Amino acid sequence: MGTMGLALPWKARIASVPRERESRVEPSEHFAGGPNPAVVDAITEDASLAAGCRAGNLQTYERLYSIHGARMRNLARNLLGNPVDAEDAVQETFLKVQRGIASFRGQSSFVTWTYRILINTCYDARRSRLRKKEVANDDSAETPRPEPRAPGAHPSLRMALERALASLTKHQRDVFLLYEVEGFRHAEIAGMLEITETASKNTLFQAKKNLRMILEPPRSSAAEAR
Amino acid sequence: MMMNVACNDRDRIFEDGTRVEWAALEAHAASCPACAGELRAWKSLSVAAQEMRDYTENPASWPRIERALAEEAGRKTRPARRRSWLSFLPGISLGWQTAVAGALVLVLAISAGWIFIRGPHRVENDKSLLKSAALENVERAEALYVQAIDKLAAEAKPQLENPATPLLANYHEKLAVLDSAIADLRTEAGLNPSNAQLRHQLLAMYQEKQHTLEEVLEARKQ
Repeated sequence: MGTMGLALPWKARIASVPRERESRVEPSEHFAGGPNPAVVDAITEDASLAAGCRAGNLQTYERLYSIHGARMRNLARNLLGNPVDAEDAVQETFLKVQRGIASFRGQSSFVTWTYRILINTCYDARRSRLRKKEVANDDSAETPRPEPRAPGAHPSLRMALERALASLTKHQRDVFLLYEVEGFRHAEIAGMLEITETASKNTLFQAKKNLRMILEPPRSSAAEAR
Repeated sequence: MMMNVACNDRDRIFEDGTRVEWAALEAHAASCPACAGELRAWKSLSVAAQEMRDYTENPASWPRIERALAEEAGRKTRPARRRSWLSFLPGISLGWQTAVAGALVLVLAISAGWIFIRGPHRVENDKSLLKSAALENVERAEALYVQAIDKLAAEAKPQLENPATPLLANYHEKLAVLDSAIADLRTEAGLNPSNAQLRHQLLAMYQEKQHTLEEVLEARKQ
């Protein structure tokens, strides 16, 4: 399934929590004034997680889950549009990590490798669901219908965005979700989706342009409304 | 000093602007309503994206994953245990192990064939057990045979009770031993009437008694 042997530079370590952003700017992730302590911590933690999982230590898997489980589940839910399928995908990802950890050579961040497995697992689940739908002669669209979620979320805004996302290309949708929702950096997304950092930036730009066009009413009708 | 950007720089900055370029665009938007609107709309997408973030915990999730991981780990260790069970053959090469296994299969095949071929004959030849109808015939014949021998014994009785010669005395003793043995065998045969071996021995004793009585009667004639 092409999840192993990921070549991602060590500077692109994944933080345990998504960064808060308003107008998020990535000045090419250059770290002035010596190594960033947060990055050093992330590298140490990543190596420790990889070693523990390689040793088959269940407590390390639990730690991996406690740090990334919620984000993994949220990503899977947004990719699959279904909380039940998302739970299955996260579980399957952990099993794949357990099965494949011996082949993980450490050329990339362990956590990026894990997320890459998760994304591929979601792709597989989506494909398999599509096949089932075809067999059942279901003419519904490829994009799954999102289910209701946390009551705190603004339902109309969320639903409008989810509907708009459904009309994007798969790649645009994935980059948007990874960057804007999950808070990954372009370097991390590049590693997960096996694309270049520039391609990730360009895809996000195209995704947001398309979303604006979909979400904003035509200027003429907006003027009529006034 | 703040760098200057124009409206046509907007998309490039949206796509891959540096921190300084973004600050310059913000400053430009303060005096450009078109760029201000675009900037607001661009940022609102990021704000809207936050609505798709739901990191609420599911307490059932980790136990389920943990169980699956433990089961998977168990499946991985089971074949290893099977291999270690076979580790009593560590120094024997795979070729020899195959040869030993082949020899075992050959021995089993020969044994099975022998049992298959010999089985029916063994049952046919086995007379240790008699069926009830055959047993009745044997017992009837035996009774007639015993009656006939008893007639002989009655004829020989006068000579044997008063033996005229040492030979007759010996016959008398011999017949006493035979009668004792016959009595024992009859007792055993009574307990186990289907035992053909006992019947053979009893028959041999009767035959011996018959010959002995015949000899006694022969000796009387002489």
